[in-house]
Amino acid sequence: MKQLIFMAALVHLLVPGHAQAKHITGKTTDSIPVVQLEEVKVYGLAKNTNQQLLHYYTANQAATTEDILARLPELNMIRRSSYGMEPVIRTYSSGQSGLLIDGMRIHGACTDKMDPASIYVEPQNLQSVQIQTGHGFQSGSVIGGSVDLKLAEAVFNDSGKWSGSVSSGYQSAANAWYETGKLNYSGNRLAVMTNISWRKAGNYRSGGGAVIPYSQYGKLNYGVTALYKLNPNWTAKADLLLDDGWNIGYPALPMDVGYAGARIAALSLRNESGRGRWQQTELKIYANAIRHFMDDAHRLNVPMHMDMPGESRTYGGYASSRLVINSNTQLDLKADLSSTFLKASMTMYQQGQSPMYMLTWPDNNTLQTGLGAVFSKRINSASVLMLSARADLFSKVLTTQTAKDQLSVLNKPVNNVNRFLKNISLEYSYRFNDRVKLKTVLSYSERMPTSSELYGFYLFNAFDGYDYIGNTLLIPENAWKAEANISGKSGIFQYGLTGYVSRINNYIMGIYQPGLSTMTIGANGVKQHSNLPYAMIAGAEASLIVQPDHALWLINTTRYSYGEDHAHNALPMIPPVKNTSSLRKMIGPCAVQAELELATAQNRVNSKAMERTTAAYAIAHLRLMYSGALAGNSFRIDGGVENLFDQAYREHLDWGGIHRPGRNIYLQFTFQF
Amino acid sequence: MLLIYSILPAALLHNFPCSGVIFSLFLIKQSDSYLSATFLCLAAIRYICCLTQQILNLLYTMKRFMKHPLGIIALLSVVLITSCSKDSAEPDPSMGYIQLASGFAAGTSTHVEVYATDSAFTGYNKLYILLKDSVTGKPVDNAAVLLNPMMAMMSMSHSSPKENPVSNIAVNHFFPCSVSFIMPSTAGTWTLGVQIQNLENGKSGTASFTINVKDPFYAKMFSFKSLADNSTTYFVGYAEPSKPIVGINDLELVIYKKESMMLFPADSSLSVMVTPEMPTMNHGSPNNVDPVHVINGHYKGKVNFTMTGLWRLNLKLKSGTTVVDSTHYIDLTF
Repeated sequence: MKQLIFMAALVHLLVPGHAQAKHITGKTTDSIPVVQLEEVKVYGLAKNTNQQLLHYYTANQAATTEDILARLPELNMIRRSSYGMEPVIRTYSSGQSGLLIDGMRIHGACTDKMDPASIYVEPQNLQSVQIQTGHGFQSGSVIGGSVDLKLAEAVFNDSGKWSGSVSSGYQSAANAWYETGKLNYSGNRLAVMTNISWRKAGNYRSGGGAVIPYSQYGKLNYGVTALYKLNPNWTAKADLLLDDGWNIGYPALPMDVGYAGARIAALSLRNESGRGRWQQTELKIYANAIRHFMDDAHRLNVPMHMDMPGESRTYGGYASSRLVINSNTQLDLKADLSSTFLKASMTMYQQGQSPMYMLTWPDNNTLQTGLGAVFSKRINSASVLMLSARADLFSKVLTTQTAKDQLSVLNKPVNNVNRFLKNISLEYSYRFNDRVKLKTVLSYSERMPTSSELYGFYLFNAFDGYDYIGNTLLIPENAWKAEANISGKSGIFQYGLTGYVSRINNYIMGIYQPGLSTMTIGANGVKQHSNLPYAMIAGAEASLIVQPDHALWLINTTRYSYGEDHAHNALPMIPPVKNTSSLRKMIGPCAVQAELELATAQNRVNSKAMERTTAAYAIAHLRLMYSGALAGNSFRIDGGVENLFDQAYREHLDWGGIHRPGRNIYLQFTFQF
Repeated sequence: MLLIYSILPAALLHNFPCSGVIFSLFLIKQSDSYLSATFLCLAAIRYICCLTQQILNLLYTMKRFMKHPLGIIALLSVVLITSCSKDSAEPDPSMGYIQLASGFAAGTSTHVEVYATDSAFTGYNKLYILLKDSVTGKPVDNAAVLLNPMMAMMSMSHSSPKENPVSNIAVNHFFPCSVSFIMPSTAGTWTLGVQIQNLENGKSGTASFTINVKDPFYAKMFSFKSLADNSTTYFVGYAEPSKPIVGINDLELVIYKKESMMLFPADSSLSVMVTPEMPTMNHGSPNNVDPVHVINGHYKGKVNFTMTGLWRLNLKLKSGTTVVDSTHYIDLTF
């Protein structure tokens, strides 16, 4: 069983009086690692019985959500820009894994994956990250697992009080400013949280001093969450989350984003009484819309300027509950449905000619209905058996005649793609003693091809330089997966070791089509998404936490991945071994933290994907934190130096061979009232 | 309350029986009004999603239904019932026809009107002849029509390729035909002679019109001397698609051979290869079908456009295995 729970609630570490936050629970089953991020108060939340011991991992107040996600051993980030990195689980692609916000499905509106859902969540409205690496009962039919970004929410307080914080910070590498504000009202029946954050960054300076052009960005994120207690058992919740980004540069891509906006709204009802046969009941309806405008207006030496707007609209809802059959047996159920509309187009302008217009995502709608169940039984005091299953019905259709006409150009496409997906997994955990706990999972899962894989129309992939076209005859991938985890605690040590191997049948990959002519000027050729017979993905993750006393922590994580296709060629985008260490020492109201990131070289690359090798690197960060009181309120200062030795380096999943930021001095001041 | 309990399971069962069963069980267990209300919302969403899907499916089914003869009859009867069939002699302006010329054919008591979808241009022009009885003004649907296009230049004159109406019976009062003007009016004067034999009153005669032919912005016809014998002149004209779309288009070309100044018979002997290209982008399109001769010099195939804009159809013409021309192209923009 995954024992590691990371936490970035640094406030509580630094101020002894807040130590009660250690006992916060994640509202999850044992098998899902939870990352607890913000300062979370205990009042209304600690009703859950699934207590887990929390260990702490920190990210500074100036960090972005991406910085935090990048530290989790199960997640890798595909980087195309200084902002908008795409989180993927292990080495599965984003189509193979799920990324949700608070249980909501949300589909990016960009054909080039510039806008993963994670960019719409700022650290201050993120409460926890739920990662499921087995089979995704919560999130849908996925073969790689799922990440659910749980949104922060207000808490109830009998006395009815106002609280809030303002924060301001600067980062030197990108000449970036980060400002946030938060205002909460906590009443005994009504609790409201509002927050706003603003970021603006210029082109950043990479290690060694070179400035990376087109790496600037600006964004504003704001939202409100309200909780209303209907009765002692039921709570209603409303979320509204808005995000506007503008002038976001993508140095690894030929285009940038002029404007991107997301509107996310949800209404939910939940029962957290923890009594009765049905527990943890949650009902939710949601809607989100994203508009995304990609263009190359600011790029120099462009043969022809183009605009590539896209839009995505999703409506959905779900109902989930836990049926407690007896003290040893329970059944978690979830039924969900969603409808996602996608459309993206491209218009090119050549003087004296009529504009060249085409759909890059021909208008399409995905209707998804799913039903999942997890049956858990505690066999005896040492062993637990979990059987989970999920079925999903997908119906994808092209919604307009224009879309159908356009797609008909490709070889024998079909307009409607209906698939029934089945998933099943068996998990067995056995606790030998406190020092050794073993968990094994065996699963079979299927996933729906993405809209790009089915309907994509000459989507240029800047990674390999090929235009990609969809294939409506794709067979859904299915995967057999085995995962074993051993974990335990002994004295000041806590460890976890996970190994996994999976065989993905009908692996979807772009295959070069020599007979087709490219669309993008300068592209290497055209690839069509096709089913390979199979591919293998394997890997391991290890973590070690040493905590000799309450003032000293050492956290060390290591990850390794391996992938090959049926012909034993390396799969692309497989990161090398990476090790991250963090040592924190608290001295009075201060904390000092030293971090070291090590990665080996990756020379095993996929030449067909034009993948380049990546050199090994070692970088160090130094962070300092100070908490104090001012006029009865608290404040804290986060400062530090990232990439202390100004190394010029890049990670293997970074596109375009672009170096990451060099030495970055940051300072963030936070005032809480 | 009873209403909710009776409607909800039904609503959810509608498309997803398992969820319906579980939800209804769930409702009974909870017996909570808030819960019920939320379920109502959920069910409503379910319904909206389903409804959208149903509508889409319905549209799809309708499309397939249309392909069935009975379906067409059913649909036609609906159309007939909803729209009373008007017997209009005037061309329907909504069809986009424009009148190129009109006048009386002397001695036939018949008024001749020449229509086209566009003003006359150098290339393959589809024409529609409308004949009207000069007394009653009623359309004449039964007539033999022969075209005689003639170009008068300074010292000489010549004709051009043409297609007379294939039938003596008008189609929706029009006699479809075509003239391929091989040069613009700047070179001389185009006269279109329309010789008619009105089979309703038995009178014959000819109407003659001056037609102003302009070069289109992108040439729609070209001529070449065959590389095989270096003497035979061919004319290749672009007929379809007249309204290109992004997608698969029916491609239709016409080919005529010049036998004399007055004789331009249709040619069926060549094979044609078409390579579409966007000249500004330097890319083509997939899955095109080269046109093959169908009838009367008309070659039909498929051309695919992947986006709007300027497209160039590069043509390669062969006689047997000998390339007779590979230097010409036809541009179009939409």
